[in-house]
Amino acid sequence: MIKTDVLVIGAGPAGSTAARFAAKGGAKVILMDKKSEIGAPKRCAEGVSKRTFEILELEADPHWITQEIEGIRLIAPDGTDVWLTNDVVELPEAGYILERKVFDKHLAMEAGRAGAEIRIKTQAKGLKKEEDGSYTVTCECMGEVFDINAKILIGADGPESHVAKWAGLKAITKPKHMEAGVQFEMCNAKMERNDVLEFYFGSVAPGGYFWLFPKGDDIVNAGLAIIPEMAEKSAYEYLVDAVNNCYALKDAQPVELNVGGDPVGGLVKEMYNDNIMLCGDAASQVNPLTGGGITSGITGGKLAGQTAAEAIAAGDCSKEFLKKYAELVDEAMGHDMDKYSKACDYLWSLNDDDLNSIAKAFQDIEFETLGTTELVKALIKVQPSAALKLRKLFL
Amino acid sequence: MIVKDWCSYCGCCAGVCVRNCIEVKETALVFDDNCNNCGICVDACPLAALEMEEE
Repeated sequence: MIKTDVLVIGAGPAGSTAARFAAKGGAKVILMDKKSEIGAPKRCAEGVSKRTFEILELEADPHWITQEIEGIRLIAPDGTDVWLTNDVVELPEAGYILERKVFDKHLAMEAGRAGAEIRIKTQAKGLKKEEDGSYTVTCECMGEVFDINAKILIGADGPESHVAKWAGLKAITKPKHMEAGVQFEMCNAKMERNDVLEFYFGSVAPGGYFWLFPKGDDIVNAGLAIIPEMAEKSAYEYLVDAVNNCYALKDAQPVELNVGGDPVGGLVKEMYNDNIMLCGDAASQVNPLTGGGITSGITGGKLAGQTAAEAIAAGDCSKEFLKKYAELVDEAMGHDMDKYSKACDYLWSLNDDDLNSIAKAFQDIEFETLGTTELVKALIKVQPSAALKLRKLFL
Repeated sequence: MIVKDWCSYCGCCAGVCVRNCIEVKETALVFDDNCNNCGICVDACPLAALEMEEE
């Protein structure tokens, strides 16, 4: 039996960050992932805010940054668009489009360099709680089955979240909160500006949106996410239609198809218990409005890793000690999650005509700064009745 | 459950499975005996890659 202080299951951005900060804090750490290549296939659109690198305590590296982003363009179903770029408005958060395959691997390497032992092609098959509180996880690697015993288990196993379910944590994602996402990475795209993210709303993607995220030159991530129970066909079929109807993609050619679930229900009820913590998608650390989970997953991973190292040093892995983790997560993102969750309920209730009229009215407004408050104020001006509940939420 | 060969093993199905009975390997999807054909996974799949077996 292999023994360790901390076992992290899943080497995505959240898991690798958790492993790195736990190792930096002096704990003996094992980081495992079922895949043969960390970071591939990618499961997302690769957008992050610049503050991600402050959280990571790493310099942004040109090896895994494909494009700096200067603004966004919002497009209504009839094509009416609203440009919000930082030459005309002050954007609250600037960002980058990453090359996840390189980025994810880099984060795992940083964990390895900090002292974590990394095991790839290693899958968790089940777990057992020992009398002393620790977890023994049954693992399989290349046909060999073996056990790893850990004082603290960190579940960073993505939207699948087997660890949470095995451990009996209240962390399951309801079908109405699991967005189905699909994306083509394409070349030959002709975007009006290749430093602006484009978001298409309405029946093009029920319960979500269709996005174009530029990755430098003529390359773009063209994808969408839907809530299946609001939809009439599969996410893939919506994507094919959206791509065929998108002028910027008329000559575009796909080089990748990416698929994934995105838990957008807000933070899970139980993010920790005795000897266990969840982070990243496994804890639904995802912005419910944008579906973005890299920055928040990394935040969760760092807090989980730091808390794990402190618990090991203190010799106390009880839920009373680990409660601190959930409190820090709540402080870092809890409020935003609630707010964005309610904004989603509102946004997804609008039909194509509503969205068209809102976009038309927005075109005439000159924004100076762009924050949620400014957007909601403008929304209330153009749609007083429907936006009343938003006023309560945001202002 | 019938897994179509265009499944990309994203794990969306496993995420919504209340019985936790779908194992997602790197290139395989394995349903254990606990599966009661509730069909939640079929609706959740982004690629329509799951199909219920006829009784």
